Amino acid sequence: MTTSVTTAAKPVARRTRAGSARRRQARAAWLFMLPTLVVLGVFVVWPMLQALYLSFTDYQVFAPARWIGLGNYQKLLSDPAFGNALVNTLYYAAVTTPVSVALALGLALMLNRPMPLRGFVRTAVFVPVVISLAIVAIAWSFLLDPDIGLLSYWLSKVGIVSGQGWLRDPSLAMPAVMLVGIWKNVGFYMVMYLAGLQSIPTALYEAARVDGAGAWPQFRRITWPLLANQTMLIVILAAISTLQAFDQIFVMTHGGPFFRTETLVMMTYRVGFKEFQFGYAAAVSWALVLLIFVLSMLQTAYFRKRAVTY
Amino acid sequence: MRLRSRGRLVAITAAIALMSTACAGQGQGGGDAGAANGPVTLKFWNGFTGPDRAAVEGIVKKYNASQNKVRIDMEIMPWDVFFEKLLPSLGSGTGPDIAAMDTAQIPQYAARNVFQPLDDAYGPQGVDPNALVRSAVDATTFKGKKYGVPMNFTTLKLYWNKDMFREAGLDPEKPPADWDEFGSYAKKLTKDDDGDGKPEQYGLAIADHATIAMWPILFWQNGGGVVSEDGRTATLDDPATIEAARHWADLITKDKIAPVGLGGADADKLFQSKKAAMEIVGPWMTTGFKQAGIDFGIAMPPAGPKAQVTLGTSVAFTLSARAVGAKKQAAENFFAYWNSKESQTYWSVNSGFPPNRTDLTADALKGNPYSALFGQDADKSRFYLAGVQEFQKVNETIFEPALQRVLNGKGDVEQVFGQADKDIQTVLDNAQ
Repeated sequence: MTTSVTTAAKPVARRTRAGSARRRQARAAWLFMLPTLVVLGVFVVWPMLQALYLSFTDYQVFAPARWIGLGNYQKLLSDPAFGNALVNTLYYAAVTTPVSVALALGLALMLNRPMPLRGFVRTAVFVPVVISLAIVAIAWSFLLDPDIGLLSYWLSKVGIVSGQGWLRDPSLAMPAVMLVGIWKNVGFYMVMYLAGLQSIPTALYEAARVDGAGAWPQFRRITWPLLANQTMLIVILAAISTLQAFDQIFVMTHGGPFFRTETLVMMTYRVGFKEFQFGYAAAVSWALVLLIFVLSMLQTAYFRKRAVTY
Repeated sequence: MRLRSRGRLVAITAAIALMSTACAGQGQGGGDAGAANGPVTLKFWNGFTGPDRAAVEGIVKKYNASQNKVRIDMEIMPWDVFFEKLLPSLGSGTGPDIAAMDTAQIPQYAARNVFQPLDDAYGPQGVDPNALVRSAVDATTFKGKKYGVPMNFTTLKLYWNKDMFREAGLDPEKPPADWDEFGSYAKKLTKDDDGDGKPEQYGLAIADHATIAMWPILFWQNGGGVVSEDGRTATLDDPATIEAARHWADLITKDKIAPVGLGGADADKLFQSKKAAMEIVGPWMTTGFKQAGIDFGIAMPPAGPKAQVTLGTSVAFTLSARAVGAKKQAAENFFAYWNSKESQTYWSVNSGFPPNRTDLTADALKGNPYSALFGQDADKSRFYLAGVQEFQKVNETIFEPALQRVLNGKGDVEQVFGQADKDIQTVLDNAQ
């Protein structure tokens, strides 16, 4: 009797206790997240909403903002400077993203197996990640300088002479800033891939070897599919960061020569902080937000089908 | 349980700490430190980070020590940072009271009512306009009112490397006098010994972007220009401008007398590293060139077919529209002190700039041989885009990219400048 009562009462008690525990846990979780949420709210969400509002006005600082509806967005469509910046941004992203990811994967595969100086090479590839891009961009500007640049000097020794210098040549300036962008980020993606590689059970490779699979089939059938989660994350992160390209361009070319390296973020900066058309600049930046949002959604949808769980 | 509550405590503490630091930023730097009986404090921003910094600091220090009613609280930052911060900070009320800037930059701020007119700062009691370089005072004018008081003034001059002249068989004491000599000297001074198509030494260093105006001098010398003298009409497609552009672009692209794509700092570096034999630039480079061990001469830029003219340029003090009453009085007192005979002598001797005043004797300036040189020919100088409201758009968004297109062979001068002329005219008309 007593036992039956206790057994009957127990689940109920457990459920309520579990329920309140879960609530408490949820509350604690929110509290843990609160600092981050406050920071995000104050420094990210609120400014974004402010910018959204500004993008519907002709705000120029000092004169009160006048509501002009979609005026700025209509202007975007017919502004050749916006078209140019959009093309430059997509060009930068379309080259830099796949090259960074492929290079990161290659380096991760190479550095995942024993080799001499492995630690040194891993560190060397990762170091650019922890240095400020704006600062290394200054160093790169010196390296690429046609008159005093070390890299230009070495290249001239092997017969590659850049008469005008990479950053001053309209057709080479973009590749130069791409190079720096790739060099800066590849180490970060490599580390993510390394982590992914180490989570793949070695038993799978052993089984594959027993079945006589060579290096390529092993990569094709085991490594690549099982890295899908990392690849998704890396590709999305890389695409977002390349669409936001700014730092090294600001330092190395300032968007020049004649806007050949002006990306959407550079254009936002120029239109806002140099020409004081803050309303229009806000519209440019929101166009970029929409672009990144749509692209990220497409990528997520594409990769979700390929996600792996162990 | 204990763990959990501690976790909560940590989270709350962290959140509070973050919120309080986030809010702390708002209270600072209101700029209204108007304690009733203390001195009036004026925030003063400028971009004199170069060798002339010490001279600016010297005068401000002397001024602060000379009296106890006004305190100048100066902040020096690179010009690009200065211009990024200025408008937003003035908008939010955390900006400077006094901001110094190139007179060409003033109209775009004055048009937005950020600065106040300073006509009443001039006069026998304050800044005596008759004792100052006329063109520098006039350059602060926007729509009939003066929005600035000169902080410095100079002309640009031709620097030439005497050793390179000697080596090229030219008289090291004789700079080029006209365009023909200028061009032929530049060709002689350009050397490509290894024949790879990239000269090791250039005749001329001339910047096409991010620079003090160099190309417009060449246009003026031929009777052209970027805009007319009254700043109302674009003149980039005038035959005189196009002819000048084509003449020098040919010398640069065909004869390679100068590299393409230099910014102002690149051009200075090229002359400083002895890779270019001539450059047209201001007195701020004398220190750097001397330190590099260059034996250089300074002269008026060669005369063009139509005129002998160079660039006049001036940085002026401006006063925030928010600085009223005691602050305005204090600022005007400082401007007068800066332009006094004593301060101007100190300024010239220590910075190498010519004095703003025209009544200082050569004897007073003998401490610095360059000061007097750069003060000469002030009457043959012209200000670039003076009074044009949208300096930034006309110069950086339209003119410089057009010039770079031409120098990179992306279009003919007539077509590229023709389009740029139309774009500039639109900007000028919209500002009316």
